[in-house]
Amino acid sequence: MCKKLLLLLGVMLLVGCSEPSWQTKDISGLMPPLEFELTNENGRTVSAEDYRGQVTLLFFGFTHCPDICPTTLSHLATISDELGEEARGNLQVLFVSVDPARDDPETLSEYTDAFGAEFIGLTGDKAALEALTRRYRVTYGYGEKDEAGNYDVSHSSAVFAFDRDGEVQLLIRESDPREAVVGDLRQLLASS
Amino acid sequence: MLRFDRRLLWNLGLLLLSSLAAADIEVETPRLRLLPGDLPAAGYFSLSNTGDESAALVGADSATFGRVRMHQSIQENGVASMEPVPRLELAPGETVEFAPGGYHLMLMERGQPLALGDEVTVTLEFEDGRRTPVVFRAVSPASL
Repeated sequence: MCKKLLLLLGVMLLVGCSEPSWQTKDISGLMPPLEFELTNENGRTVSAEDYRGQVTLLFFGFTHCPDICPTTLSHLATISDELGEEARGNLQVLFVSVDPARDDPETLSEYTDAFGAEFIGLTGDKAALEALTRRYRVTYGYGEKDEAGNYDVSHSSAVFAFDRDGEVQLLIRESDPREAVVGDLRQLLASS
Repeated sequence: MLRFDRRLLWNLGLLLLSSLAAADIEVETPRLRLLPGDLPAAGYFSLSNTGDESAALVGADSATFGRVRMHQSIQENGVASMEPVPRLELAPGETVEFAPGGYHLMLMERGQPLALGDEVTVTLEFEDGRRTPVVFRAVSPASL
């Protein structure tokens, strides 16, 4: 009985000490702040500064991706819905296409609109994409073309979360439960 | 009375045998996740082999799409990609889910514009030559 109480006390102390308690992977300080020069859905050149002031999620993909990309984006759309008022106007999702050959501004615009107003499509030339992917230590690559010229694009499946100042905070993985992501984003939206 | 019962039993037995003889296929919750324009759509469903022989899915086609391919998404060390699935065998009693993040049909080259709620027939092709038409309903990409 006494041992159990001590154990309980110990656990309570441990929980009290770990602050702030993120449920997804905390990568603050491990990677640099958000920085890029890309092309937006209107064909204009934009930089990370244009997206400061909101909590930002960053995801790499391509629109001809039938399964993983729409799955991740719809997952984020559901989470954004669940956050409701908190998220509205305070959360944005940057979908960076690593397939600029097929993803022109118009295609990106139509694509991101299918998921919600907070979804923003960006892409860039090889140099711009390599600078950004290298910055967050992710890779991408192109598969062989089939008889009709279609090809697969391998890309990172993780989502990076940044605070309003563009400082990196979290790495959200496909295996993270929805409640964990909702809880962490709520916390990130409430801070700063 | 006794004769009637015997015949009934015999018929029931025949019925049971005939239903067990073939590899029966059941498809549940077929849905087509529609993307804008002519971006490839994904087909998801639950495929069950309710027969007593194994069955192998070897492809699919649809009059609505130029090309339909069977794929599997894979995630390795945080990198997502997909690979073709030429053949998928189902043991008797086995169910395989075609679901986001795993097996899926990739439907390319739309022959006509599609809207949410539209129904599209996709025919599943099995190794024994059997063709099973399935009606898929187009759903929003924002809903899982």
